[in-house]
Amino acid sequence: MSDPVTPPTTGTPPAGSVPPAGGPAAPAAAPPPAAPTPASPAPASPPPTAVPVTSSAPPAPPAPPPTSTAAATVPAQPVAPAAPAAAPLIPTAPPVIDTERRDLTDGVNRCAKCGSTDIVLNPATGMLVCQFCRTEWSEENAVAAFGLDTDIAALKGTTIASGAKDIAPDASSVVTLKCQGCGAEVVIDTAHAMSGRCHWCRHTLTINDQIPNGAVPDAVLPFRMTHDEAVERIRAFASKRRMFALGRFKREFTPENVVGVYLPYMLVDGNVASDVAGHGEVLRRRYTRGTGNNQTTYYDADVYAVTRHVDFTVDDLTIESSSERANLDTRVNTNNIINTILPFDTKEAVRWNADYLIGFTSEKRDTDIAGLRPELDDQLMSIARAQVQASVAGYDRGVRWEQEKLDVKGTRWVSVYLPVWLYSYYQEEKRLLHYIAVNARTGETMGSIPIQTWKLLLLSLTTGTVIEGAVLGFLGMLLW
Amino acid sequence: MVDLAGDLLAAVQHLASYHSNDDDNGGGWLALLAAGPAAGVAVWTTIFRYYRNTDKRNDYEHEAGIVAQPVTGSDQKVDEVHGTRRKRIDGDNVANYRQRVQRIPSDPEPR
Repeated sequence: MSDPVTPPTTGTPPAGSVPPAGGPAAPAAAPPPAAPTPASPAPASPPPTAVPVTSSAPPAPPAPPPTSTAAATVPAQPVAPAAPAAAPLIPTAPPVIDTERRDLTDGVNRCAKCGSTDIVLNPATGMLVCQFCRTEWSEENAVAAFGLDTDIAALKGTTIASGAKDIAPDASSVVTLKCQGCGAEVVIDTAHAMSGRCHWCRHTLTINDQIPNGAVPDAVLPFRMTHDEAVERIRAFASKRRMFALGRFKREFTPENVVGVYLPYMLVDGNVASDVAGHGEVLRRRYTRGTGNNQTTYYDADVYAVTRHVDFTVDDLTIESSSERANLDTRVNTNNIINTILPFDTKEAVRWNADYLIGFTSEKRDTDIAGLRPELDDQLMSIARAQVQASVAGYDRGVRWEQEKLDVKGTRWVSVYLPVWLYSYYQEEKRLLHYIAVNARTGETMGSIPIQTWKLLLLSLTTGTVIEGAVLGFLGMLLW
Repeated sequence: MVDLAGDLLAAVQHLASYHSNDDDNGGGWLALLAAGPAAGVAVWTTIFRYYRNTDKRNDYEHEAGIVAQPVTGSDQKVDEVHGTRRKRIDGDNVANYRQRVQRIPSDPEPR
């Protein structure tokens, strides 16, 4: 059985009694600062020996053809030879972390103190507040509730939380609830909202059961930035980019229209090993040939076959689980703006309660874990490459990685809604939706401002013309 | 504007390096003549990116919670190159983490 919410309780009114709506949310307390998780760089293995560099040497003898020579090696683990191709095996019944809220239902969920259903999030505190009796409380932290703080290095196979299960092909996003207050039917489109109000008795009805349509995640990270704070950040971002902004955008700019949206993501913990192999070069000699303006610089270098292996764990890697948001093609959309404001302080996510979403819109997950694996593999491989970079710093002429291998020993998947303040502007002539997005936890802000093309073109042409004129003047003086 | 100045400076340095590296003088002159168009392109690119931020992405390689064990590996000299005019190894991708290369199949473990 799940843990109940923890407001002070003094008794529950009889079922069906509907207290009037309460006043505005209680005054806000200052939110604690976000706590980003730092990455831990890997110690480097011994780089190649430092190489003396000869500058501007006298004319060198003709370069002999490259020869192969053997040299001392650093004993370590080389990249394993190519294993026979094998399709990833997905167990038919992976371990599941049960995150279902059995103490909440689809429909009416009441304040434990007064019985009101007028419950909303107070973004200033990140807590739920009863609009009627002003009681505030918070759901249990998801990490603690689901045991997500276990050793990631011990993960084997695939573990998923129940809210991250596959979406049933026939599951509808539209849910019809019967109001427990008056018996009327209330329709909720979970693609955009997770609550609705009964038109007859004014009860608020919420979706809390993990129906297999991807709408109910395991956890939610509540908004902690108020609408006014988001407006100020968006205004500040846009005001720095006024000069070349599209005139119509500037005229119609109304940051007060910013919308709070919960967007669906998968938080992935991974236990990973990776190998990379390629070639690196160390400079041996640099010299010039020719005289005057005809001097040319040449380089001699040693070529090494380089392999690297790294074991690592990644905690709460955040991946878009909406196929629309995962499309980061900047030629057709500006979703990269929302991608840029990651990461969130996901350790502060709480158990699912649809009341956190009241007053905000939401987008539901539409991609299963299998559909997200290619993106996960890509991100893990990129992380591996970043981790080994310091270990090849001795190759002063760079490294060309040619092969890479990824062994994902274990993963844990948790679905979550993350809070974003989103201002949007549709540029009709380019059919492009521009976003300015604010991370509603950390405050990180990023945006796409439509450009007045002729202004930018004029500046570019003017700059180019002035520089070209100066160059021609200089050449004219030389020729004169 | 700092970015813009940096881009312009880089363009000029790029042109200068072209000039000094070219065998025949004609290439150097052409490169110098291209300074104007290069500056125009640099201005366009810099301001476009500042407004549209099309090059921005989540920097998960450095911002995710990563705990790595010490990196191991091998370094074996296999060749020498003499008299090349390249400043870097051909295909240098050491800092381009997201460029995928040939994928070696992973061990057949359940996932």
